Amino acid sequence: MTVKIRFFARFRELLGTDIITDVAAGTNFTSLIVTMAKKNPEGYAAIFDEKGAFREYVILMKNGKRIDIADAATTPVADNDEIAVFPPVAGG
Amino acid sequence: MISIQTDDVDIGALIIAAKNRGTGAVVVFDGVVRDDNITEMELEAYEDVAKTELGKIAKDATEQFGLLHVDIIHRIGRLAVGENILIIVVAAGHRKEAYAGSRFIIEAIKAGVPIWKKELTRDGGRWVPGEYGHGKPETG
Repeated sequence: MTVKIRFFARFRELLGTDIITDVAAGTNFTSLIVTMAKKNPEGYAAIFDEKGAFREYVILMKNGKRIDIADAATTPVADNDEIAVFPPVAGG
Repeated sequence: MISIQTDDVDIGALIIAAKNRGTGAVVVFDGVVRDDNITEMELEAYEDVAKTELGKIAKDATEQFGLLHVDIIHRIGRLAVGENILIIVVAAGHRKEAYAGSRFIIEAIKAGVPIWKKELTRDGGRWVPGEYGHGKPETG
């Protein structure tokens, strides 16, 4: 199955965006984002701490709806999902 | 009008269009690029989600404060010092509701709408840190 990953702001600069990738059935949010983030050590360090946990400020969305980072490891991704990963917002 | 766009808007025209016979007050918030030793500001949005969330904020404000009209225009792309970033036009029957509705909208945008700002400088750039983490104030 195929999913689209969108990083924004600093994460986008480090990891790119609108990445379409094939994933195996049963893949969860955390494992997918770890795989994508490991392509750039600085990008990985921006999203995950030294223990491999999401940094507190990271915001995740699945098809435009927020996913709590505490639930990411148990939330599966589905075919055609759009997954967004971004730092705290700063509009206005 | 709820919009995320690169172009500027005619605020005067928005004010005229916001008025109807029941209007007693129009409040305009105009967020502007400030010169904090920057050359330009670059704004980025998760556009589909941001526009949907701006629409929800406008609806919530309308219901909560009995507003008669709401415009929210948030610009993206590269903006020079002095340019408009965010224009909120709120019309209500009375000033109290108009001020309160305008304040509600700007605070809700800062708390949760996926838009980011990067201050560009001669040495490169710096992302503006958000005032909020997961929708909660980080301090105070």
